[in-house]
Amino acid sequence: MWNELRNLTDDIDYGTPPRDGPMVTLEIDGETVSVPHGSSIMLAAASAGRPIPKLCATDMLEPFGSCRVCLVEIEGRGGYPASCTTPVIDGMKVRTQTETLKKLRKGVLELYLSDFPESELVGGWSEFHQTIIGEGVTTHPFDGSYNHFQAPIDASNPYFLFDPAKCIVCSRCVRACNDIQGAFAITIAGRGFESKVVASQDQSFFESECVSCGACVQACPSHALVEKSLFEGDYVHAESVKA
Amino acid sequence: MPNPLKPEKSIVTTCAYCGVGCGFRAETLNGKIVRMIPWKEGKANHGHSCVKGRFAYDYYNAPDRVRTPLIRASIADPWTPVSWQEAFDHVAREFKRIQGKYGVKSVGAVSSSRCTNEEIFLVQKFARAVLGNNNIDNCARICHSPTQFGLTNTIGWGAASQHFDSILQSDVIMVVGANPTEGHPVFGSLMKRRIRQGAKLIVIDPRRTETVESAHCKADVHLAIRPGTNVAILDSIAHVIVTENLYNANFVKARCEVHEFESWKNFVSSEKYAPETIGPLAGVNPEDIRRAARLYAGGPNSAIYYGLGVTEHSQGSTGVMCLGNLGLACGMLGREGVGVNPLRGQGNVQGGSCLGSWPHVFSGYRFVTDETTRKSFEAEWGVPLDPEPGLRLPNMLDSAVAGSFKAMYIMGEDPVQSDPNQHHVIAAMKAMECVVLHDLFLNETSKYAHVFLPGSSSLEKDGTFTNAERRVSRVRKVIEPLAGYEDWEITVKLMNAMGYKATYNHSGEVLDEIARLSPAYRGMSFDLIDRIGSAQWPCDENAPEGTEVLHREKFPRANGLGTFMLTEYVPTAERTSDRYPLMLTTGRILTQYNVGTQTRRTPNSLWHPEDVLEINQQDADERGVKDGQWIKLTSRFGQIELRAKISSRVNPGVVYTTFHHATSKANVVTSDLSDWATNCPEYKVTAVDVTPTNRAEITSSNIAIDASAKQLEPAE
Repeated sequence: MWNELRNLTDDIDYGTPPRDGPMVTLEIDGETVSVPHGSSIMLAAASAGRPIPKLCATDMLEPFGSCRVCLVEIEGRGGYPASCTTPVIDGMKVRTQTETLKKLRKGVLELYLSDFPESELVGGWSEFHQTIIGEGVTTHPFDGSYNHFQAPIDASNPYFLFDPAKCIVCSRCVRACNDIQGAFAITIAGRGFESKVVASQDQSFFESECVSCGACVQACPSHALVEKSLFEGDYVHAESVKA
Repeated sequence: MPNPLKPEKSIVTTCAYCGVGCGFRAETLNGKIVRMIPWKEGKANHGHSCVKGRFAYDYYNAPDRVRTPLIRASIADPWTPVSWQEAFDHVAREFKRIQGKYGVKSVGAVSSSRCTNEEIFLVQKFARAVLGNNNIDNCARICHSPTQFGLTNTIGWGAASQHFDSILQSDVIMVVGANPTEGHPVFGSLMKRRIRQGAKLIVIDPRRTETVESAHCKADVHLAIRPGTNVAILDSIAHVIVTENLYNANFVKARCEVHEFESWKNFVSSEKYAPETIGPLAGVNPEDIRRAARLYAGGPNSAIYYGLGVTEHSQGSTGVMCLGNLGLACGMLGREGVGVNPLRGQGNVQGGSCLGSWPHVFSGYRFVTDETTRKSFEAEWGVPLDPEPGLRLPNMLDSAVAGSFKAMYIMGEDPVQSDPNQHHVIAAMKAMECVVLHDLFLNETSKYAHVFLPGSSSLEKDGTFTNAERRVSRVRKVIEPLAGYEDWEITVKLMNAMGYKATYNHSGEVLDEIARLSPAYRGMSFDLIDRIGSAQWPCDENAPEGTEVLHREKFPRANGLGTFMLTEYVPTAERTSDRYPLMLTTGRILTQYNVGTQTRRTPNSLWHPEDVLEINQQDADERGVKDGQWIKLTSRFGQIELRAKISSRVNPGVVYTTFHHATSKANVVTSDLSDWATNCPEYKVTAVDVTPTNRAEITSSNIAIDASAKQLEPAE
């Protein structure tokens, strides 16, 4: 009986929150699927068993459309819209796995990879790791000298730590803090390459307005925010070891 | 080792902390719990969590966790570790000896809202079927017993009328004597989400809590009343609703006892409840009372959420009735978005209430004096049952001091720390010949116990919890019990040692027995919960998967109608005077939980290493008290020492503290007054004074244990 429940709830991430509304029928890669009006293409694809790769989307948060990994093609429309922010329409025909899309995704993921510590790629099991492995992107053509590898780790909270080297600035933590917990303790400071996740006024997590609810840790796709209990002994920054 | 270790297994279970009852996936690696991830399918939390449930679970493995049974002949002796069998035989021998010498009624039992439904049910079975009396009570006595009484007498059931998600349909939210962002954080965040979406918020609380104002969330009306004036203020709100014709006449006509409504209407329209009279008395602006009344009555969907700030008063039951009256008069019951909802402190207060841990009722709130009900229990349990209601916990303590009550089986409770007037509780404990404590840790009460039975944490056993929205969820065994037995097994073995035959293969069979004997739980079973995740009672043939919103068509009273109670405001006997000019009220903080047994053994204490006294700048200046200074807090009942924190959260005349740390002994100062109907202690109102002091020695009856508790706290 218990196994049955676990299968039922095997932690599928539909990418965007469920909606209530009349059912809308569309085609995803030739497969017909019906989802409530207001749902995203991403949710429809996940319901059809054809999940679209994603980084900044998760079904506990409203879509944000920043990572540009979940791009799709829609018949009769130009461009490559993000499936998380595009609502479904009756009769819509969506393609999620074309050669062009694969190329676009690869390009985006290579950029992410260029600022992700190489030594932490092997053995990782975060959503980010699963996505890059799933898309077959394990190297990048950039020289990687622009990176955040030396940014100091914030281990001030007794339960979780924040390693900016692994942060992909997807804002999932910020949105979880705002929308789910309502603490408004995390924000993105800076612009462009300087953008970084900070707690309150760039304070340590422990000193900030953070209430330690764990919503950001749960939302983080790259183990930049991660439970300390998952480490044996002290957490050591991979890059600083190398240095 | 830069990448985190990957857990291998996960088991869905229910958090053991507050009344929200969040679902968690407990993840393990090599048989050790490595993290708790909030369960997205959990209907109480939808994948959200707070710092307690998410992170502060490691207490189960604390070094001072007791892992073998302990006994001693007198409380002056050191503990002797013994085998389980020796412990069971010892308790049975002692209980039988005491019952033989002092009578059947000289022994009783107390269960806890931290135990599972199955354990609570078994402890009351132990008292009724094995001890042969109704001396059974539970810790809801000291928190939500007035809810039981007040709501039953107005809307019929002493339980939340709604499910948590209902708040997402509310237009007006009225929070009375509760601080959900600290005490029920996951529900608090849901509430704040609704407020950010535009719902109006009314807060009635002496203190400017987090709930009153936080980021993007501010109360539209905050009635910062003087402690102890709840009933006056609620009657005054009713006065405005009645005199300004804001009540819902159609609802009253269709769903309520109209005659009772009329007499209530006459009663509250009296000038003595006019805001202009009550405002000055309660320390609030009369216009704010009117605004609150208009907002609440205007809805269209207004919901009431209340906590211990309503119940823990000498008029606690009256306060709850006031809320029932308001809900009925304005038609704010029976659909989504409305309702009257108690926020339960502990994980299973609702279950404790439902399952007969009361001296006067069996499970399902059916009286022990009722022969038909008694017969059904006698048939199932195979023994004749006592038709006379037993002693309440405070009465057990009183009788112990008086010499007629001699032994007690306490499961998962620490009355010496958590019950009012600590000196009296200690005197009672010392007067007993056999105090059996069943808990995880030695605590304040264990200093006066003769037998200690080491229990299992909620991660080590199977069972169910019933949360504040009546939701029954599964507690699942993640690891084997550290001391060898699950708690329910210990109680069963105790029954057997006493010569009563009871056999259960697993705790699901206890739930089956509960279902057979309790109408609201008739459809509950492990199978059902495993299949659908959780179910809210009533769960029976009419509602096979449970009921989210109560009172949709009628109220569970004999005639199906809601009724109104006359709620005269009677000021508490606890008054300020020249000697005790300040009013002390108590509450909770996010990172700590209740008496701190669990959270003090985790890094949560980094945020709240000690209890402090919040005092207004003005009162502090008058007394020469500086921020962070040690002060002496004196009441008519005792004195304690705490550090002062100057805060604008409290008004002049009011001071506030928490009771999470045993060393601060907040209940030394609280009064022995209690609710007129249910004996729920008046924790929220104590006249005190504050004077600066050099820190003196802690006057403790057992400093050794205090010191060991202290070691577990991080260095200051």
